[in-house]
Amino acid sequence: MAVLDLLGRDSRIDTILLVEPDTYKPHNVHRHYFPAASCGKPKADLAAGWLAERRPDLRVETLVADLCDPACAGRIDEMVSRADIGVCAVDNDRAKLHWDWLMRRHSKPWTLGEVLAGGIGGFVHMFVPGGPCFACVASQLQRETKVDDSPPPDYSAPGHAISEASIPASISSVHAIASLHALSTLALLGDEDGRGWDSTTRLLPLRAVPGIFNRALETVNLPFARLADCLNCSSGKGGGDLLEAFECLNRAAGS
Amino acid sequence: MGILDNPVSKERLLGVELPALQAYNSQRDPEYRVSVEPKGGELQLRYRLKPAHNVYELVTVLPDSYPVIAPTTRVLTKLESCPHLLYQQTLCLWKQASRVADSRWDPARFTAVFAIQAAWRWLACYEIWVVEKTWPIPEAR
Repeated sequence: MAVLDLLGRDSRIDTILLVEPDTYKPHNVHRHYFPAASCGKPKADLAAGWLAERRPDLRVETLVADLCDPACAGRIDEMVSRADIGVCAVDNDRAKLHWDWLMRRHSKPWTLGEVLAGGIGGFVHMFVPGGPCFACVASQLQRETKVDDSPPPDYSAPGHAISEASIPASISSVHAIASLHALSTLALLGDEDGRGWDSTTRLLPLRAVPGIFNRALETVNLPFARLADCLNCSSGKGGGDLLEAFECLNRAAGS
Repeated sequence: MGILDNPVSKERLLGVELPALQAYNSQRDPEYRVSVEPKGGELQLRYRLKPAHNVYELVTVLPDSYPVIAPTTRVLTKLESCPHLLYQQTLCLWKQASRVADSRWDPARFTAVFAIQAAWRWLACYEIWVVEKTWPIPEAR
């Protein structure tokens, strides 16, 4: 929400297309912009209302859906095709790779902000068509894969508080990385080949952590290149029917 | 959502994994070729390996979040209890966040065939372990 708020207030942006599946929950209240009374409402609708109060001229179109939901793929694809730039704030690698796929499919530049566990720092990545993809960058970052491992909702008590599995970052850390994320997005929007932003990735340590970050607030620029043989962005697209392809392989295997 | 419903996984399977598996199969005798079967939102690869003296039956599962999430490989042939062997004879093949490039699963560089080759290496180590009771390669760091 923080990066959306920062970008939504910039006069250069006239339309926001927002895809967000979540409902506002009690455990969100202390780190978000909305009061406890908003619990139970879709976050996308709350965000649209927040922006409308501050920028009545801003057009906000929302879709309450999971980015990876095949049932919404057509609508999401159409929304992406209309956008000038993508802004990704999802918290699991599956959705990030899916977003990367969408952006490459439509040749759109995009940015990604990632707050590290505990709020000790964060990454901001800028991706441009023809440049390194998310998998190229993740490969070179050598980090642990994070997937959405949140427990399924408790249908007997909708809207109840749930404990967060990871160590949550403070709102200050979230906003620090969100500000850098918003700035990089605006830079890319004004200059789509990324001039003046000479690296793919910026790492901003927010705290000195022995063995990880020697000093706080010393931004590290990581100019990642596209991997020559990246299986995500350099391989052939491969069309056809998957089940037929399986049958063909099994026939050749003699099973 | 299963691996077959996900357009990213689907494109990956058609463009990368199946051609790699076809190339793997084309270089092997029929009894050592890989067959594939979608099952419960995942994709199972079934095959045999013969790293040295013995033949082993294996199944490698590409989960619904593949290739973000690493494939898992189980040996169906009964093994002795040994290092690097997890629950239900699942092989410990990857150490996420490892500083050694080939010890962590990397969707940008590895295919399911790499997972099969990693299983072959694991089984080669296992056959040495059965005789010498020492694992012949160092722990992943």
